[in-house]
Amino acid sequence: MGTQGGSEAAAAESFYPSDEDREKWMANAFDMARDALENGEVPVGCLMVYNDEVVGKGRNEVNETKNATRHAEMVALDQLLDWCRHSNLDVRSVCEQTALYVTVEPCIMCAAALRLLNIPVVVYGCRNERFGGCGSVLEVSSANLPQTGTTFKCVSGHRAEEAVEMLKTFYKQENPNGD
Amino acid sequence: MEPQIKRWKGSACDTDSWVAYPVLSDDQSQDVELIEAFAAPIVDKKETSRLIRELNSLYPLNGLQHIKRVRACKGKGSPHPLEVLVCLVSDAPDVKDVSIGSLLPSDGVRHDGLGEPFVVKVPARPPLTRPQFELASKHWPTSFHEDKQVTVALRGELFSPPQKATMHLYMMSAFTAAEAGKEMGMEAVGAVVVNPATQRIIAVGHDCRGDHPLHHAVMVCIDLVAQSQGGGCYSFDRYPACRFTSSDTDTFKSGEASSQPYICTGYDLYVTREPCVMCAMALVHSRIGRVFYGTASADGALGTKFKIHSQKDLNHRFEVYKGVLSKQCEDLKGLESHNRKQSLED
Ligand SMILES: [Zn+2]
Ligand SMILES: [Zn+2]
Ligand SMILES: [Zn+2]
Repeated sequence: MGTQGGSEAAAAESFYPSDEDREKWMANAFDMARDALENGEVPVGCLMVYNDEVVGKGRNEVNETKNATRHAEMVALDQLLDWCRHSNLDVRSVCEQTALYVTVEPCIMCAAALRLLNIPVVVYGCRNERFGGCGSVLEVSSANLPQTGTTFKCVSGHRAEEAVEMLKTFYKQENPNGD
Repeated sequence: MEPQIKRWKGSACDTDSWVAYPVLSDDQSQDVELIEAFAAPIVDKKETSRLIRELNSLYPLNGLQHIKRVRACKGKGSPHPLEVLVCLVSDAPDVKDVSIGSLLPSDGVRHDGLGEPFVVKVPARPPLTRPQFELASKHWPTSFHEDKQVTVALRGELFSPPQKATMHLYMMSAFTAAEAGKEMGMEAVGAVVVNPATQRIIAVGHDCRGDHPLHHAVMVCIDLVAQSQGGGCYSFDRYPACRFTSSDTDTFKSGEASSQPYICTGYDLYVTREPCVMCAMALVHSRIGRVFYGTASADGALGTKFKIHSQKDLNHRFEVYKGVLSKQCEDLKGLESHNRKQSLED
């Protein structure tokens, strides 16, 4: 965490979700993931919470947009930006007080996007062994990248087994032969 | 394409002004790692093949198949013609007084023909590139399975003059887009996606982060490519320099477009400066074919801070070349910092 500037570090310090918050919003994210799984979609639930309000919600939209970057987090970040515009609030000051709750560790791309928008805290369920940007493949969340926004804190492991189970079920459906 | 290329020939933007170099993986570009070994002179040449056989079975040098067991000592006025590797220093951890007798139990290797041992350094890993091979060979003779393309690329000679003219043209499009974006108050970064099989430009985009902080030029281009295949999720109508060519005229892919989830498979990207982490990983997700950039950037993820294109554990890798139109692309960065300074002063 030594890479954070003084004021940013102070802001992140003062902003940290309580156990109660984590429980509540992760339950919400898991409901979304379960819902996606039942509809044959990638079982990732993801929401952005500002001031006890959901300001962005996302599910994977890669297939319908043919855009491989449309991960749930990117969709949720777009909603957050829209929300700021419609509420006439400054993006940076909202983002600095916003937490992301997501059932699976964000990928390298999404982790960098979260940095670029100065999101201070990410709460996630299971690790993302294939693409994870919060330590599993690369540690973008805390890397020394002064031109790439600010570092963020990760709170991991919340209902991890459940998140993994959902992913396994999904990939089994996608590819019953396992090849 | 041909007439356009001819127009560039002999123009001010000649292709001799830049060289494209490959951005290799860490394994390919790192220094040669050395480990210590005991070598000994072969004073009686007639014993050589027996010594090699017996040493190979006593100390097989596992994992070091790239190292030759014997080296010639020619031209050094050496009293003996050959030297042989006895074992790694780590093979004999308990030997206090190093001598040929303490290293070689007499029932394993007969000492006949061997002189007293001395320490040498040998390359720990097989060389992957010619520069690594040349460095490694200075320490001990090493075998090398040369990838000719890498050797030529490292000399900056992989692309022929006609290929460079085409690359020049594509990067000029990216450069022009960067300037157009800058005119509209964006960062001066431009990018172009090309289908090298048909030599068609699929999409041209520039940085649009004034509207959306994540709309870096590469992200814009990826969405424009999606739009060219009937997808996409943003409108860049406000920016005349951001555009795409519909893929129904791009016969190369039309048949498989609907079943092809990776929209950039087989395509090349030209971008004026090295992509950031987000953009580099977006290119992995999109299965880009190759990336060419003009100039490095401070937090760049295709060579400077990371090498995401050659990252172990990721399911897609691609070639990256830097230096295309380097001077012009470097100048774009200059414009930019000047802009920033101005806006700070205002
Ligand atoms: Zn909107
Ligand atoms: Zn992602
Ligand atoms: Zn970028």
